[in-house]
Amino acid sequence: MRRRTLLGLLVSGASLLVAGVVGIPAVITGLSPALRPPRQETWRSIGRLSDFPTGAVGMGIVVGDTTVWPRSFRSQAVFVSRQTDDDVVVFSRSCTDLGCPLTYDPGSTCFFCPCHGGIFAQDGTRLAGPPKGPMYRYAHRIRDGVLQIDLSSIPPSA
Amino acid sequence: MLSKMLRWVVDRFGLGPIWDNVLDRQVPKDPWYHGDGMALLVLLTMLVVTGIVLALGYCPAIDEAYQSVEYITHAQTLGWFVRGLHYWSAGLMVVMLFLHFCRQVLLGGYKAPREATWLVGVFLLFIVLTTSLLGYVLRWDERGYYGLRVVLSAFQNVPYVGDRMVLLAQGGPEITSLTLTRVFATHVVLVPLLLLLLVGYHVYLVILHGTTTMGERKEPIDTVEEQRELYHEQAEHPVKGEVFFPTAVIKISPWSLIVVTLAVGLTLAVGPPELMQPANETAATTASEEWWFAWYSALIALLPPAVAPTFQWLFPVALFVLLILLPFVDRSPHRGWRKRPLATTLVIVLILAILGLSWLRHRSPWTGWPAAEAPSVPRGVILAADAEQGRLLFPKYGCSSCHAVAGLGRSQVGPDLARMDHMYSQAELREYVLHPPAGVAMPSYAGHLEGNDLERVVAFVLVAQTFPRNIE
Repeated sequence: MRRRTLLGLLVSGASLLVAGVVGIPAVITGLSPALRPPRQETWRSIGRLSDFPTGAVGMGIVVGDTTVWPRSFRSQAVFVSRQTDDDVVVFSRSCTDLGCPLTYDPGSTCFFCPCHGGIFAQDGTRLAGPPKGPMYRYAHRIRDGVLQIDLSSIPPSA
Repeated sequence: MLSKMLRWVVDRFGLGPIWDNVLDRQVPKDPWYHGDGMALLVLLTMLVVTGIVLALGYCPAIDEAYQSVEYITHAQTLGWFVRGLHYWSAGLMVVMLFLHFCRQVLLGGYKAPREATWLVGVFLLFIVLTTSLLGYVLRWDERGYYGLRVVLSAFQNVPYVGDRMVLLAQGGPEITSLTLTRVFATHVVLVPLLLLLLVGYHVYLVILHGTTTMGERKEPIDTVEEQRELYHEQAEHPVKGEVFFPTAVIKISPWSLIVVTLAVGLTLAVGPPELMQPANETAATTASEEWWFAWYSALIALLPPAVAPTFQWLFPVALFVLLILLPFVDRSPHRGWRKRPLATTLVIVLILAILGLSWLRHRSPWTGWPAAEAPSVPRGVILAADAEQGRLLFPKYGCSSCHAVAGLGRSQVGPDLARMDHMYSQAELREYVLHPPAGVAMPSYAGHLEGNDLERVVAFVLVAQTFPRNIE
């Protein structure tokens, strides 16, 4: 091997080593949110069950945790559809098309998306527009009369 | 003394080669409208300068971002002007980039030896579109916030890695303070750095290989050698060639003057974009995207549900791959638009489609929305008592949310009641309202609309079918 080739390889190798020592931890840190294990169950209260009248669709509020870093983005709304005393469904407010915020119209009993024309019936089934499926439903439970939902039960973008 | 100093500066700062190889070089004569690339450089400079000033006053924290934009706009001296200039320059940059792209397709600007110039340009196109979106997310108003949500939802649809992409972009399992700092860092550090590096390289390649000349447009060119010979022959020709600075620069500067005048004029006339309500997930909103993305929004709205989720992420990827492959697929020797009817047709269709879709998005006939007003009746028509009561019940039962009557009403989700395919009888209407046929975008009103109210609503629809198609 010629001296120049050897030196060239040495310089290239050293450069790669330095790039690796600096670059690999930097990339891992940058990608760390995506490398964590799947989401754990995260139960949050959205109000007392008695606050949601039977036979109607109400709005529940999930209060974000602003005491720890990174702070949650304040509060988010969910729809609570309570057809009978026991029949409770908690819908995400995000359209299953592209996450725009749905609005409930008690007159037509439909959920409307302002973005691309998604329309859902009161039971969450898709009526119109490009959404691929029904509205997202949260897993829910009732503890001491308080309605709780599992935030990890729907996709992270919803 | 002065010339001695100038010589010293040129020598010590190494400006000689720049003067010789860039400014004082001979180039083939270009028509004025070839200055769109230079206009893009001017816009980029305006964006960098105004962006730096905005970053000095902006706070990338979820509780303060919105207020800091308000502060910049209303409390800082000339803050409104700087923010307006940044906004309009960004919008104009997207438009100019599109026109630049169309011109390159029309004139075969991606053909040998300019393949690399084109490839770098394709990366620039996507980077500019990305950063133009991230820019309005930073306002953290309803439009910005839901713009971010739309992107995250599109990521979610990517098979296998969708969840991970969302987690990476959000900085965790939900939108938190980390999300906004990520958007901020990407918009003001990562993207501008990439943009400046790639723009520098793009300009270098333009200097090295030149732009498509009038001569190249007229005759077929089979080889790179042929192109280079023709290019240099034209550049050195006493009539067909000219010096780049200042002759060619002055000639291609009208585009730059136009965009600067437009950006400043729009800032003075319209001002910076009004902020919508602060991002708030608990409030009802009709947030929409910025005008330069309206066409894409319309396209998504028109897609059937079986295709939409895949299209949302696959379309940009497919477009990127297609543009990257273009120089290697189109091997015809012609470069002018007259001899390339396919490229010309494609550009015309593209422009018409984007304008048409943007207009459609402005109307958004596919959007149903709660309406508070009862439908109008034609002048001179007096409804029977039950039909009149039915008309007044329309908002209560959300009929106006989806149906227009004789052209009046925003939504066209359901058919216009004065323009239905055939006349329905009272019994048919009653049955339709209570039990809509499968596949029809209408909820069942069984158990919700009954008794007298049902009869009154049906009575009004029965009459509305006889209205003229347009109420004057």
